[in-house]
Amino acid sequence: MSQNPCIVITEVTKIFKTGFLKNKIAVDSLSLEVAPGEVVGLLGPNGSGKSTTMKMILGFLKPTRGEILICGESTENQKARTFIGYLPENPRFQKFLSGRDILSYYGKLLGLVGNELIKKIEFLLDLVNLKHAANERVQGYSKGMSQRLAIAQALLNNPALLIFDEPMSGLDPLGRMEVRNIISTIHTENPATTIFFSSHVLEDVETLCKSVALLQKGKLKTYGSIESIVSSVEPKYDIVIQNLPEDLESQLFFDCPSRQLAIGKSFSVTGPEHLSRVLSKIVSSPAKILGINSQRKNLEESLFKANDNTQSLETSL
Amino acid sequence: MKSIFYISWIAVRELIYEKVFYLLFSFVGLALALGVLLGQLTFGEQTKLTIDFMLGSAHLAMILFSIFMGISLFQRELQMGSVSMLLSKPISRTSFLLGKYFGQILVQLGVMVTLTGVIFLSLSRFENVQYLSVLQATLLIFFETCIITAITYFFSVNAGSITTALATFVFFALGHYSFSSERSPATKSNPITEMIVTIVPNLEVFNLKTFASYGVTISNRELGLSLSYALVCTAMFLTLASLTFQKKDILT
Repeated sequence: MSQNPCIVITEVTKIFKTGFLKNKIAVDSLSLEVAPGEVVGLLGPNGSGKSTTMKMILGFLKPTRGEILICGESTENQKARTFIGYLPENPRFQKFLSGRDILSYYGKLLGLVGNELIKKIEFLLDLVNLKHAANERVQGYSKGMSQRLAIAQALLNNPALLIFDEPMSGLDPLGRMEVRNIISTIHTENPATTIFFSSHVLEDVETLCKSVALLQKGKLKTYGSIESIVSSVEPKYDIVIQNLPEDLESQLFFDCPSRQLAIGKSFSVTGPEHLSRVLSKIVSSPAKILGINSQRKNLEESLFKANDNTQSLETSL
Repeated sequence: MKSIFYISWIAVRELIYEKVFYLLFSFVGLALALGVLLGQLTFGEQTKLTIDFMLGSAHLAMILFSIFMGISLFQRELQMGSVSMLLSKPISRTSFLLGKYFGQILVQLGVMVTLTGVIFLSLSRFENVQYLSVLQATLLIFFETCIITAITYFFSVNAGSITTALATFVFFALGHYSFSSERSPATKSNPITEMIVTIVPNLEVFNLKTFASYGVTISNRELGLSLSYALVCTAMFLTLASLTFQKKDILT
């Protein structure tokens, strides 16, 4: 029997009023289902509707049309938020409170009390590596420490759904690695927890997510597992050849990107069939193959193709 | 209910931490000192003048406190985005609003009690002071600040900081002037003024400064009526604020 989806977004549209008789469609008829335990990356350029979608899931924004269910509960109901842990892009805390006070405050709001709360706080401080600064005021925390504290508060209620909005935003490489490791640990230790997060950094998404959803102009362009998206693009190979006759070069590598190297010439071919054809011809010629490298297919390229866009996603995201 | 209590407690701590809180306290201290000084300079009506000036200063300080602390406590949290983590928890927006409101009211009560103590201390050098009338005047100032704070929250949900401050000041000014006995007879028959009178709470009900300076007290029944009126007005503005807040899109 299949499990009920953790998030069900059905035909959701969000229209903002931007002036007198002027409207902006931020999210347009979005439908999406996320299964329990999935780690889904929400991608898209600025203004694509990522944040609006997340805020509607959290109940901060009410959809103009459509419905969102979290573990079967409508986001209109307060109960839906008992399943959610949320990490905003720029977490801000009451600066006069210590890290421990913050966790205690949010824990109490979630109904945790006494020993249960104390144990939970200690466990989470340990998980996010903040035990040493737990009694310091958060106004002295670095961006990375604040981010880790925000992750800890999101985990207080053992949520079925974790929503991370740009969790690595503004962090230095070390901070990013720390947060990435924490998210990996959370997923490993709680495989049933669904993690839904947005990011501009495709590398992070590729490392952490199993699936990605690409939004553009409020519409869902692509949604699927990274594997299926990446495999939808034909692989590329670089062949380095020496002494290749000119007539063969124009015959075999017409339209193929090439590069002159000190030891020979490198050609880039797409797809295994093209590669076999090229190899069979070269073997019977005086040319010498110095090496064949398979180019790594990455998410950016795959999404770029899936999106049929003319500019690099890395620059547009 | 518990969530309202926890939010209130953090709001109390936040207000105590706020530097503006100390600035206002300094302002009140200075005004009270001036009141004492002014009383010494005036021959004959020292007691009356001192009470009048001190209650006036306390009134103004409490109104400023209500408006600016309300904006700082409630609206800043909405604008800064710290509200998002709080509202992602299973608590209602009404609980958040009421938690902040009651936290602020608790601090305002503390400030009012302190100010009343300072006023009593300053008046202790005069003879024949009717302390009960002064106490009643300070109590009604506190009631008024409860309404002003609720109005501030109502505007905070709907507008920015400056608009909130201006709109609340306008309500405060109209709430006193429209019902003041000093209002010109011509404005009393003006339909616009009449419309304002119907939507703006009558804050003159809470003005006992002149009574206190003459040592006149009001009955418990009148006091009870003022309290009831304050409760109704406060509940009305908080309900409006809550209803609007529930429909509000939180974009931060």
